[in-house]
Amino acid sequence: MTKALFKKQMMESFAWVYRDRKTGKNRTGAGLVIYLLLYVVVFGMLGSMFYMMAESLCPPLIQMDLGWLYFAIMGLVSVVLGVFASVFNTAEALYRAKDNDLLLSMPIPIDRIIAARLSGVYALGLLYELFAMVPTLMVWFDSFEISAAGVVFSLLIPIVLSVFVLTLSCILGWVVSLISGKSKNKSFVTVILSLAFLGAYYAFYFNAYKILLEVLANAQSIATNVSGFWNPLYLMGLAAEGKVLPMISFTGMVIVLFAVVYFIINRSFLRITTANPGAAKVKYRKGTMKAGSADGALFRKELKRFAGSSTYMMNCGLGIIFMIVAAAALLLQRDVITEVALGMFEGHEDLLPLLAVAAVCMLTTMNDTTAPSISLEGKNLWLIKVLPISGWQVLKAKLKLHLLLTFVPATILVASVETIFCFDLLSSILIPAVAALYILLMGEIGLVLNLLMPNLNWTSEVAPVKQSAAVMITLFGGWAIVIAIGALYAALASFIKPALYMVIVCVVLLVPAVAVYLWLKYKGARIFASL
Amino acid sequence: MLRIEHLTKTYGVKKAVDDLSLHIAPGEIYGFIGHNGAGKTTTIKSCCGILQFDAGEIYIDGISIKDNPIACKRHLAYIPDNPDLYEFMTGIQFLNFIADIFGVSAADRKERIYRYTDMLGLTDDLAQPISAYSHGMKQKLAIIAALIHEPKLIIMDEPFVGLDPKASHLLKELMRQICDAGGAIFFSTHVLEVAEKLCDKVAIIKGGKLIKSGTMEEVKGYTSLEDVFLELEDEQ
Repeated sequence: MTKALFKKQMMESFAWVYRDRKTGKNRTGAGLVIYLLLYVVVFGMLGSMFYMMAESLCPPLIQMDLGWLYFAIMGLVSVVLGVFASVFNTAEALYRAKDNDLLLSMPIPIDRIIAARLSGVYALGLLYELFAMVPTLMVWFDSFEISAAGVVFSLLIPIVLSVFVLTLSCILGWVVSLISGKSKNKSFVTVILSLAFLGAYYAFYFNAYKILLEVLANAQSIATNVSGFWNPLYLMGLAAEGKVLPMISFTGMVIVLFAVVYFIINRSFLRITTANPGAAKVKYRKGTMKAGSADGALFRKELKRFAGSSTYMMNCGLGIIFMIVAAAALLLQRDVITEVALGMFEGHEDLLPLLAVAAVCMLTTMNDTTAPSISLEGKNLWLIKVLPISGWQVLKAKLKLHLLLTFVPATILVASVETIFCFDLLSSILIPAVAALYILLMGEIGLVLNLLMPNLNWTSEVAPVKQSAAVMITLFGGWAIVIAIGALYAALASFIKPALYMVIVCVVLLVPAVAVYLWLKYKGARIFASL
Repeated sequence: MLRIEHLTKTYGVKKAVDDLSLHIAPGEIYGFIGHNGAGKTTTIKSCCGILQFDAGEIYIDGISIKDNPIACKRHLAYIPDNPDLYEFMTGIQFLNFIADIFGVSAADRKERIYRYTDMLGLTDDLAQPISAYSHGMKQKLAIIAALIHEPKLIIMDEPFVGLDPKASHLLKELMRQICDAGGAIFFSTHVLEVAEKLCDKVAIIKGGKLIKSGTMEEVKGYTSLEDVFLELEDEQ
C-alpha cells in the first residue's frame, strides 16, 4: 500500500518530466533528453547566482578561520529558497489535493497519506535547496582543505537540510491552510501571505550585496553571536568542517523537530482537509439581472478563474505586483535613479530608452496567465465544449485577460519611466509600442504552447501552473527573447541608432504577433475543439 | 429533432460505438440503456459536440453537428452524469454566465432562473460558491443551467444520480412538460423502472451496437423492461 501511494505521488509530482501532455504517453529518447537539458540550463542559470555569492563569502571567511560561518550562511540561504519555493505547494498538495477524498475513503492510515504527500513536497524543496547548496559545496570543496569526515558530512548536510526545509514548509503551509480555511476569500488571503513572503525574500535579495559586505566586515562578532551549541546553524557549520558531535546534534535537532511537526500535522490533517471551504453561509436575495454578451461572459469567467486561485495569481500574475512596485520605486527614488542612470550612460543617453523598454518587457514576462489557462479548464472542459461558442472565442477571452492584467500595470510602469527620464517624443512613443507588441506576442505564445502541451488531467492546480512545460518555456523563453534582442543591438550598435532599432523591433514583434494571432484564430481554435 | 446516422467512434482499436442509428422526434422522451461501457456516454457526448466521431452523421433539428456545431449547440442542452461546474463561481454567477452565452435577455433569465431555483429549492444557495455545493446541488444547478435557454433538445447522462426524491420527481415532471411543449429528450439511465414509466421510446445498446429500439410497447411487449434487457444481455 505504502509503495503504491509513494509511486502515485512521485508519478504525479514528476509527470511534467516524463509525460507528454499532448499525447498522455511517456516521453522517450530525444524528448526526454531535451526536457532534462532544459531543466539543467535553468538549474545552471540560477545556480550561477549562488555560486557568485558563495565565491564572495567562502575565501575571506576561511581566511578568518570561520569556514563554518560560510557554510551556515549558505545553508540558511538554501533553506530560505527551499521553503519559499515549497511553502504554498505544501498547502496545496497536502490539504487541497483533489484526490484527498478518494484516499481518505480508502482503508489507508492517514499518516501514510501524509507521508506520501510530503514526499512530493520534499522532492520540490530539495530541488530548490540544491540550487544554492550545489554551488555552496563546489566552492567549499575548492577552497577548504577538508578531512574525509568533512567531505562525508558536507555531502550529508544537504539531505538533512532538506528535511529541515520540509519541516518549515509544513509549519508555514499548515498556518496558511488554517488562516485561509477560516477566511471567506481564501485565494486573496493566500496571495497576501505569499506577497509578504515575497517581499521579505526580495528585501533580502536586493540588499544581499550590502548584507554580504556587512557579514564580511563584522564576521567575528556575528560568529560570536551565532556560535553556541543551541544554534543549529553553528552546529551545521562545524559538521561541514568534519566534526562528528555537531553533525549528530544537528541531525538529531532536525529529526526531532520534524517528528513534532509530523505529529501535529497527523492530528490536524483530517480537520483541515475536510473543513467546509468558505465562511458563514450567505443567503441569496432575489434582485434584478443584467444581460451581457457571450464574449463578456467568457472574459469574466477567465477573470474569476484567475482571482479564484492563489496558485494561479502568484505564479502567473506576479508581474503585476513587480511592475507597480517598480513604478512606485522609480517615482520615489527618481533623483537617485536618474543620477545613477545618466552617470552610467553619460554620452550614450540614447541607449536609455532601449534599456528602459527591455526592463519593462522583462517584468511583463512574469505575467504568463495564458500559458496554463487551457490546462486549467481540466474537468470543466466539457462545459465550454457543449456551449454554442467557438474555440476562438474561448482563446480570445484567455488572451484578453493576459492583455488586461499586463497592459494596465505596464502602462503605469512606462508612464513612470517616461516621467522621470523625459525621453524625446519618438522614444516616448516607441517604448509603449514595443512593450505592447511584446506583451501581445508573449500572451499568444503562452496560449500556443498550452494548446500544444495541455494537461487536462491534474489532481492539484500546482501541476498545470507550476510544473508545466508551457509555463516554463513562456517565462524563460520570454526573457531569452528580450536578451536576444538586446544582444543583437550590442552587435549592431555601431551601425544603427537605438530609436531606429526600436522601430525595427516593433516590426520584428508585429509580424510574429499577427502570424500567431491568425494561427490561434484558425488552427488553434480547431486544436482546442479537438481536445 | 435528433437524428443519429451510422455513428461510429473508435478509441484506438476499440469500437466504442459501431454503426449506430437513432431518430428522436419532437415530443419524445427517448431512453438509452445499456451496461457500463456499452457506448452510451460516447454516443451522448458525440451528439453534444464534446467528442469528435470517426464516421456517420448527427443532425440536430436538421443541422449537422459536424458542419455547424455552434448552431446545433444553440438548440440543445446537455446534463452530464458528473456535473463538474466552475467551482470558482457562485451559483448565480454560473447561471448568468450560461444565460449570457446563450444570449438570454435579462427579463427572461430572471423569470426562468427564479422559476427553476424555487422549484428545485436552490434559490437560497445561489450566492454560495459552487465549491461549497453538494453533488445533488450541483446536479440541480446543471439542470437549471440547461433549461435557461429553453432548448429544443435536452441530452442527459444519468440525470437522476445524486438527486433527492423530490428533485427527481420534479425533474420527471419537467421532462414531460418540455416534451409536451414540442421539445425532445434523449437520456441514458440504469434505472429501468424510471425508463419504463417515463420514456416514449427506448434504445438498448451493447458493445457499441444498437440491439433493440422502438416504442416502449414494441421493446418490452407484455413483460418488464428489466426482463427484456436482461434477456437481450444473455442472448448477445
